[in-house]
Amino acid sequence: MLVDLTITLVKILFIFAVTVGFFAPVLTWVERKQSALMQDRIGANRADIMGFTFLGLFHIIADALKMFTKEDFIPDGANKFLHTISPIVALVPALLTFAVVPFGGQYTLFDKEVNLVISDLDVGLLFVFAIASLATYGYVIAGWSSNNNWSLLGSMRTASQMISYEVTMGLTIIGVLMVYGSMKLTEIGAIQENFWMWGIFLQPLGFIMFLTASIAENKRIPFDAPEAESELVAGYFTEYSGLKFGMFFMAEFIEMVTIGAIMTILFLGAWHIPFLTTATLLSWFDFLGTTGSNLVVMLIHVGVFFAKVVFFIYLQMIIRWTLPRFRYDQIMKLGWKILLPLSLANILVTGLVILALN
Amino acid sequence: MAYYVNRSIKMTWWERSYIPEIIKGMWLTSRRFFYNLFGFIPFFLGTEKDRRIMTVYYPEEQVEYPIAYRGRPVLAQNEDGQPACVACGLCEIACPAYCIDIVPAENTGKQNQYERWPDVFNIDYAICIFCGNCEEACPEEAIFMSDDCEISMLDRKQMLYTKEQLLTPVADLQKRIEFTRNMYAKWNY
Repeated sequence: MLVDLTITLVKILFIFAVTVGFFAPVLTWVERKQSALMQDRIGANRADIMGFTFLGLFHIIADALKMFTKEDFIPDGANKFLHTISPIVALVPALLTFAVVPFGGQYTLFDKEVNLVISDLDVGLLFVFAIASLATYGYVIAGWSSNNNWSLLGSMRTASQMISYEVTMGLTIIGVLMVYGSMKLTEIGAIQENFWMWGIFLQPLGFIMFLTASIAENKRIPFDAPEAESELVAGYFTEYSGLKFGMFFMAEFIEMVTIGAIMTILFLGAWHIPFLTTATLLSWFDFLGTTGSNLVVMLIHVGVFFAKVVFFIYLQMIIRWTLPRFRYDQIMKLGWKILLPLSLANILVTGLVILALN
Repeated sequence: MAYYVNRSIKMTWWERSYIPEIIKGMWLTSRRFFYNLFGFIPFFLGTEKDRRIMTVYYPEEQVEYPIAYRGRPVLAQNEDGQPACVACGLCEIACPAYCIDIVPAENTGKQNQYERWPDVFNIDYAICIFCGNCEEACPEEAIFMSDDCEISMLDRKQMLYTKEQLLTPVADLQKRIEFTRNMYAKWNY
């Protein structure tokens, strides 16, 4: 009992350390530097400690200090309670999704089965979408409670965009469910041990649509109409400052990691290396004993998983710095007139193929 | 006059499917990304003199301005330490912003003294528009546009430069002098 609790706690701590402690701050730096290199600039490099800039990595510390010490401003006429609570509502779902995201398979360590997922829910996939759509409330409340026209407009756009693209997202994963026959994310991951069973081969159209929809869900360029700087100041978080703004900011980056993780599990073979089954890997490290070999394979798998996540984050960042923003009507047109019929067609074709193969 | 943007651009089926065009754009940005990323490595190793990114770290690194660049106007100072200016006042008249202020002084009868020279020569850089008309008007090759453009200050009063601050040895201005000679000679004054 105590051992199980310890293992779960360690896993929770690991996920927190990776997302909040590593990805969220480092991605702010990566975003700046990467965009700079893409545009032939140098990027952030002015923050220094004793004359060392260290490629601008100290900007993370500077940013954090700035956010902690800034005045927490609540505008006149704003609803104080909702204004305070909305960044939390926006941030928590992004973190909560990781409860069901497996970042590795099952390993035998010290005669104990260790499953590298915090909570192995049977309806893991549904849980992810249920929780992820909760974040919408945070954004809508933020815009409404700020007593600012820009904010309200931004939150209205958020609401409509989220609803439109959640439809596509939900219909796209139905294709994935039909192929794998399971909603358990660990099971979906385990099936993809076979390279040709990777979701990207079985559901190529689904992959592209899911990527599009999830970028739209995250409100990043080209779908950043809700926070469009040139139109709405900053959209729903115009009136936020200090740590509350930081929470919105962090929510965006953690959501990027979440999207990367979900995409990896559904479409890119989860923690598996192509053409290398877990059994083969275990046999390579047989000389280390059961625990030793399992430990090594576990580390490899977790590394591979996060490498794939990093790839997806990179992809999202490239898209963000390549494409211009869609007009609002274009977003709606893409969502309802193109992606929705395509996702329905995807389900139909998937069903027909499964029927034909059986 | 109002003009209309043609929004009904005919796109091919290939372009309308978005994906290939997006991938093309992503290919471009990621190519620049990796080119610039690996462009840092030879620079740090010392095998290449410059980074591939041409952005300049401004206060530490500076670019050399072309000779035609018009920075702040300065007074030429002859080898004997006196300004080449004879205080004729042509630049004062030519100045469209009225930023030059000259008070002439004349010979008092002493030996080895110029016949006429500026007692006061002020240029207010807060007003100056860096047009170069003073340089063009000057018949004595006494006022020149330098390549110095870092004249930002916290106090406007400090931007009024007096004669002593403006004086620059002729040797430093040699390139600009030759440039102006060429340029204004062509115009056949």
